[in-house]
Amino acid sequence: MVSKTEETQLNRLENQVDNGGGGAWEYLCLVRKLKVRRSEKVLKYGLSILNDLKKRSSLGSEEWTLYEQVAIAAMDCQSLDVAKDCIRLLRKAFPESKRVGRLEAMLLEAKGSWAEAEKAYSSFLEENPLDQVIHKRRVAMAKAQGNISGAIEWLNKYLEIFMADHDAWRELAEIYVSLQMYKQAVFCYEELILSQPTVPLHHLAYADVLYTLGGLENLQTAKKYYASVIDLTGGKNTRALFGINLCTSAIGQLAKGRNKEDKESLELQSLAATALEKDYKQRAPEKLSLLTTALKSLKVSS
Amino acid sequence: MAMSLGFVVGILGVVILSHAAYSTVQYRGLLKIMEEEFSGPPLTVVAELLLGLGFCMWAALTVPGTFLSIHPYSEENRIVSLPDNLDFMIFNHRARVFPVELDLNFKH
Repeated sequence: MVSKTEETQLNRLENQVDNGGGGAWEYLCLVRKLKVRRSEKVLKYGLSILNDLKKRSSLGSEEWTLYEQVAIAAMDCQSLDVAKDCIRLLRKAFPESKRVGRLEAMLLEAKGSWAEAEKAYSSFLEENPLDQVIHKRRVAMAKAQGNISGAIEWLNKYLEIFMADHDAWRELAEIYVSLQMYKQAVFCYEELILSQPTVPLHHLAYADVLYTLGGLENLQTAKKYYASVIDLTGGKNTRALFGINLCTSAIGQLAKGRNKEDKESLELQSLAATALEKDYKQRAPEKLSLLTTALKSLKVSS
Repeated sequence: MAMSLGFVVGILGVVILSHAAYSTVQYRGLLKIMEEEFSGPPLTVVAELLLGLGFCMWAALTVPGTFLSIHPYSEENRIVSLPDNLDFMIFNHRARVFPVELDLNFKH
């Protein structure tokens, strides 16, 4: 999870390193800690540290982690020679390491030799059938080859064994959403919310998928989850405020004849609308007129 | 000053509790000699237990200092983005066809 302070720190370090001030090593450590994907910058600044003999020796034993990080970034930026050299050095230093073997298999993946990479992963799994990262790489490879149904099958098998891996649940939910299998995506998001109830972004994604499914019950549940996002973020999430407005108007359209709980839902919608207008006035005043016309059209249809 | 007083009271409370435990064990031994049932520790031991409990609780609340409240949606703790799933990273994206033109060489 990247919090606001961490994000500002990351941006500040990035600006500092881009404009020539020092601090490349701290930037690389922060990127590694937050697990963000900044492959170009990591490659550029990582190589600048590794090519400089003085800086490299000052790192001590942490230079190998840096080699690994730069190798993965190089594969992402398609600089396969750099990656090959890094992995060769790592292999010389750690001849029996499985971690290096995994990097070599990833290099095969990046080159596009899917069959060899598949063979390498299967051999790793024979030695150790419970290696989480190898399972996940196999899923990623199926996804990269375009075999989405195979990826779903592998991922489901993985999740039967390792049910607590919320990254995998999130990946599965996103794959289902991309295939428009919304009911299954709803199940995955429910698992995520169960394991991490205080992360508002899961609630938001769940509410989005429920709203997309439609139907009176789903819309009412979606409205509840948008409201919980607002609760968890202290009202700062614009998307949830919009979500409440849309849900209320959609529910009003569906349930035109029945008059239950009209007052409460109208009050909630008007509160959300005022909060949105205040937010826009503060941050983007030129778009305020667009917002008011859009909200008016929602209210009229409900 | 308040910290050390809290510490002293805490240690005193622990000592009282252990003394109560020791006297209960001794009382039980005495009952075994007299071959009577062990219904409960004698009243003095119960009073000692309550005193020790009070001391320990007071010390536990005073020693750590004032508690800070948790702000789940303060500006610092707000979760901005979920981590990019690096375990599932694929290299088959657009940058494969449009590689970044960086003149990077590995000098070793």
